[in-house]
Amino acid sequence: MNDTMPPSLLERRGAQRQLEGQITGCAIARDSQQVAFATAEGDVMVAARADWGRSDAWDVQTVHDGAVLSIAPDAAPTGFLTGGDDNSLRRIAADGSVSELAKGRRWIEHITTWANDKGGVIAFAAGKQVELRDAAGRDTLKVLEHPSTVSGIVFDAKGKRIAASHYNGASMWFVQAKVDTPRQLEWKGSHIGIAIHPAGEALVTSMQESELHGWRLADGHNMRMSGYPTKVQSMAFTRNGKWLVTSGADTIVMWPFFGGGPMGKPPAEAGGIPGIMCTRVACHPVHDIVAAGFADGAVLMVDTNAQRLLPVSMAGEGAVTALAFSPDGCALAFGTEDGRAAVIDLSAK
Amino acid sequence: MSDTVQAAPDTKAANTLVPVTVLTGFLGAGKTTLLNHILTAEHGRKYAVVVNEFGELGVDNDLVVDADEEVFEMNNGCICCTVRGDLIRILGNLMKRRARFDGIIVETTGLADPAPVAQTFFVDEDVRGKTRLDAVVTVVDAYNVLQTLEESPEAVNQIAFADVIILNKVDLVDEAGLEAIEKRIRSINSVCRLHRAKRGDVPLSDVLDQGGFDLQRALEHAPNFLEDTSHSHEADVTSMSFEVEEPLDAAKFQAWIGAVLQEQGADILRAKGILNYAGEDQRFAFQAVHMMADGGFIGPWKKDEPHVSRLVFIGRNLNRPQLRRGFESCRAK
Repeated sequence: MNDTMPPSLLERRGAQRQLEGQITGCAIARDSQQVAFATAEGDVMVAARADWGRSDAWDVQTVHDGAVLSIAPDAAPTGFLTGGDDNSLRRIAADGSVSELAKGRRWIEHITTWANDKGGVIAFAAGKQVELRDAAGRDTLKVLEHPSTVSGIVFDAKGKRIAASHYNGASMWFVQAKVDTPRQLEWKGSHIGIAIHPAGEALVTSMQESELHGWRLADGHNMRMSGYPTKVQSMAFTRNGKWLVTSGADTIVMWPFFGGGPMGKPPAEAGGIPGIMCTRVACHPVHDIVAAGFADGAVLMVDTNAQRLLPVSMAGEGAVTALAFSPDGCALAFGTEDGRAAVIDLSAK
Repeated sequence: MSDTVQAAPDTKAANTLVPVTVLTGFLGAGKTTLLNHILTAEHGRKYAVVVNEFGELGVDNDLVVDADEEVFEMNNGCICCTVRGDLIRILGNLMKRRARFDGIIVETTGLADPAPVAQTFFVDEDVRGKTRLDAVVTVVDAYNVLQTLEESPEAVNQIAFADVIILNKVDLVDEAGLEAIEKRIRSINSVCRLHRAKRGDVPLSDVLDQGGFDLQRALEHAPNFLEDTSHSHEADVTSMSFEVEEPLDAAKFQAWIGAVLQEQGADILRAKGILNYAGEDQRFAFQAVHMMADGGFIGPWKKDEPHVSRLVFIGRNLNRPQLRRGFESCRAK
């Protein structure tokens, strides 16, 4: 990079800190007041909003005995949930106190939560099971069994249904159903991740064969989205459901979910870094903006309308392994394979 | 996939890849005993272990992962390309804290076909990028092996896939019996390294860090006279090895081997070779599991070593004259 390059967004409006071990995930609390980073060494670092600009104030503590494999905002307005390869599900409250919610015999690899004004639901996957709990996290609502290990879980926007990806397709369950019979969405092969359209129009999975598979939920129609050079490890729908944004190529790939797409439509390529794979994507909750992290540690933001590109962070050593916007859209957080954790304050000043 | 003979990571990168040892063997052969022996021995190294029957392991190891042997078929046009998806996931997660161990051992169930485990190391980009299959080690119960081989195609496959075979419980069989067993094992797999043991008590240097990709040692064990072709019927698994003294044309070889694996990949369990490509001063190592193949340059020939290309197939229904003619047709003109 030459000297005339303007300072990146991270330099102007952010702060970062180097941690021991890979950043395995990051999450931002529902009230957008705290950012949390999880590491493969079992640590979780929390940055409170007042301290987003000064990383020496961020608080690090060991939460798991082993790697933290999953992290999500709690169903409550504050706090986080983490799952580890110590088979434990833990809660980190806003004051930093840690409590154990569950301990089983399998790694807890996926956690997702849903909440509205009236309440919420917690879901976590361990092996072939997905367990649903009430927002307090103490009472098990149900345990959903799958034919093989669950590779991803997602609630629909209304919290009525939860979908899980696994071998040979995905299963969709009604959260409140009295009798649990899943809707089976079948497609042969190993499905390794899942996303749902915000208006419930489609369910999409990532596949081992470096492509995406989708089902139109109205009629079960199959969609195939292929052409990736590597596996798609990260995907997200834009807030209005117009685009499905994914990693897996050296540009940000966006599949159109309008005008009859994605069937028969090529994806849009929203900029990238030639020869460097995109590893993580996130969609802004308010504006038509997408963030993308790359295998060399660089992070970009792109305006999906104007396709304007804004560098957030220059390349570092390790690949971007975690990326998230805060629910109010005022913060972007990312973490890397070599332990770099950063928060960028996007709020108007 | 057979037509894409991918380049293996270069030697420098290969050294940073975490070695994975796959431990197979029939029920009761002594796999768990060997595993306990590896984990308790004083070698100053730490291993993460992927097991499938929790609780059997006698040692306390915080890096034990319980797996379910979840196999799926790849949609990549290879009819026999089955892969352990659970292993892709587990290895990926273990590699996030790579500093905690020196190697990984994957134990399979007694009845498991080793092909899906081996193919996992060919198929997945992330697994290939961070780990390497060091060796498939098969534990064999000397007392029961001949009968087991008659009754079970899985046992034959486990021997065919092995880079290393631990012939266990040799104290229960006399010397003549052991020789007959070794001859039978060699008739299936002429290139494996074979070690005798009583209660899994083999030197760990025979099991770990075998450098599976450095096929030189393996192929040194493959003189033709060991191949017992006298009375094997068609459906038996056998080994066939071939040599070409003249340098090979790389493009011709890749085209030929690609076609062979495409047509006969279901019958070819493993193929390995050290090749002398015309115009290259380094040895090219080639290996395949069913239809999946890869290869790469592995350094210069040793001093005084003849620059001979050698190729071994282990499989069923192999046609020796046809394979020989094909291999010989790859000579550079």
